[in-house]
Amino acid sequence: MNIYQPHLMRIVEITDETVDTRTLKLEFKAPAMAREFQFSAGQFGEYSAFGEGESTFCIASSPTRQGYIECSFKSTGKVTQALRRLGVGDTVGFRGPYGNHFPIEEMKGHSVVFIAGGIGLAPVRCAIWNVLDLRDQYKDVTIVYGARTVGDLVYKRELEEWSRRADLRLCLAVDPGGETPDWKGEVARIPTAVEKAVTTAEDTYAVICGPPIMIKFTLPVLAKLGFAAERIYTTLENRMKCGLGKCGRCNIGATYVCKDGPVFTAAEMGRMPQEF
Amino acid sequence: MTQRFLSHADLAALVAAHRRVIAPVRAKDDARQTDYLPIRALADAALGAALPRRSLKEFFLPPTEVLLSYRQTKEGVEIKEVPTQAQPQVILFASPCDAAALEVVDKVMDWEYRDELWFGRREATTIVGLLCSSMDSSCFCSAIGLGPDSPRGSDVLLTPVEGGYLAQVITPKGEALLAHCAAREASAAAVAQAETARQQARKKVENNAPAIPDGFAAWLEENFDHPVWRTMALRCHGCGACAGVCPTCHCFDIVDEHDSSDEFTLQASGHNPRQSQSERFRQRIQHKFSIYPKRFGEILCTGCGRCCRVCAGGMDLPEILGGLIALAKKGPQESGQ
Repeated sequence: MNIYQPHLMRIVEITDETVDTRTLKLEFKAPAMAREFQFSAGQFGEYSAFGEGESTFCIASSPTRQGYIECSFKSTGKVTQALRRLGVGDTVGFRGPYGNHFPIEEMKGHSVVFIAGGIGLAPVRCAIWNVLDLRDQYKDVTIVYGARTVGDLVYKRELEEWSRRADLRLCLAVDPGGETPDWKGEVARIPTAVEKAVTTAEDTYAVICGPPIMIKFTLPVLAKLGFAAERIYTTLENRMKCGLGKCGRCNIGATYVCKDGPVFTAAEMGRMPQEF
Repeated sequence: MTQRFLSHADLAALVAAHRRVIAPVRAKDDARQTDYLPIRALADAALGAALPRRSLKEFFLPPTEVLLSYRQTKEGVEIKEVPTQAQPQVILFASPCDAAALEVVDKVMDWEYRDELWFGRREATTIVGLLCSSMDSSCFCSAIGLGPDSPRGSDVLLTPVEGGYLAQVITPKGEALLAHCAAREASAAAVAQAETARQQARKKVENNAPAIPDGFAAWLEENFDHPVWRTMALRCHGCGACAGVCPTCHCFDIVDEHDSSDEFTLQASGHNPRQSQSERFRQRIQHKFSIYPKRFGEILCTGCGRCCRVCAGGMDLPEILGGLIALAKKGPQESGQ
């Protein structure tokens, strides 16, 4: 089996998150893979829709939930549209896990603020469930999540579940104009929502993922709150083909997103050429 | 490294003894040009002609190759693996720049995940290099730290001498290849003759471009946003011919569809970190002379000059390097922003 050959997985559940974003729950077909597969929060894979090609997504489920993985994707191109045409029981390919991961261990004993925009919640959700499944090992947990409109919020059932939990603080926001009459969350962009929801950087890590523009305007807010750049983690999702450091397109200067990332601190990003 | 004498008859027997031998052959469409192609007899090989139009890359990283095949059935998908072992082959009269390129690219192909398809072919191949005599004004191997007599990447390196070749046996694989040839010690005259030939070959190419100075990779890294990228890229049409003929360019795609260069780094959101041609030109130079040296300790170029020869826009790599090296030498006050 060469390094480009995928493992076969079966779709066991399909959840429509928004009108164009879908989550697939996948199980390995080979019993040995199903038993032995391990990954860490933040790692990614290459998912194939046979006949169309491969696409890169993070693993959106938590490594604490064994026996399956989930991926969430927005239908934007050939592969994602083909994945959307598949049903429960159909086969997809998977290569991975690739790349580095969030500092789940290092964050133990500290507070964590999770910040996400739109489909950027997918990799953050993986880390959130990882932390929530080990909840007593972390201090305060805050989640700030926003999307353009109420309709664009993903993982709605989980947002509902998190909103009822007493051991975390959830702040939901939609852009001005994206609210519905019954919307009870904030009407604000993410940087403003973070400013309101997060009061201290003391003993706290930040994990952030979303559109580049959101990250760009949220980083100064976090800096103002006192977050050191070394304690702000994000994940980059450059276009990839191989996922293992060969094909030569995801690099930013000498940094290969697939091998050195996809998880980087704001400090590391600051040292890279501004080509992302 | 041992040195031996091989007669033309020895070499002809060696070609006859192997099922698959590849060597430069006169191009059917243009007698002045050569291509690396399978040969049946030593006489088929073209010696002393131009550097083959395409490098040896295609024998290890073919323009297209099957990574796996599959069948969709009612039960799902059945994958058929492709073999990662290749048929043994000998590459005869490889140009030293092409042989060296294979060793340079080995680094990335072995980076944590070993590309078995690449190494399957590498392991099955024995490379017999030949002292280069086809250099022209586009060649700049000396500037990269190689040369027309560089043994890098060859298992055996041949230098033409009176009546045959002086063979430098470089690797055990080379030793094995020559095991069946008559073991003739090279005469002192042949050794001297070969040394003269090497010196003359080196002289022909060494003034084509300035040598890459120490610290050049770091200078490139620090000057990622230098305005020179924009001015130097003006002549580039973005056609990709240079990357196709380059022996070290190894970027690839994993689909069976046409992919144009401006989609190479296009992200799903529509964002493209390398949107303009100058950014893609910069990536080409940075990858070859800064990024690869930083990650793998090697310049990702062997100075073969093919990119200059195929460029419709007149982009000339030795000239580009000359310009950048001149900038780098001017120091920080002149460079940047």
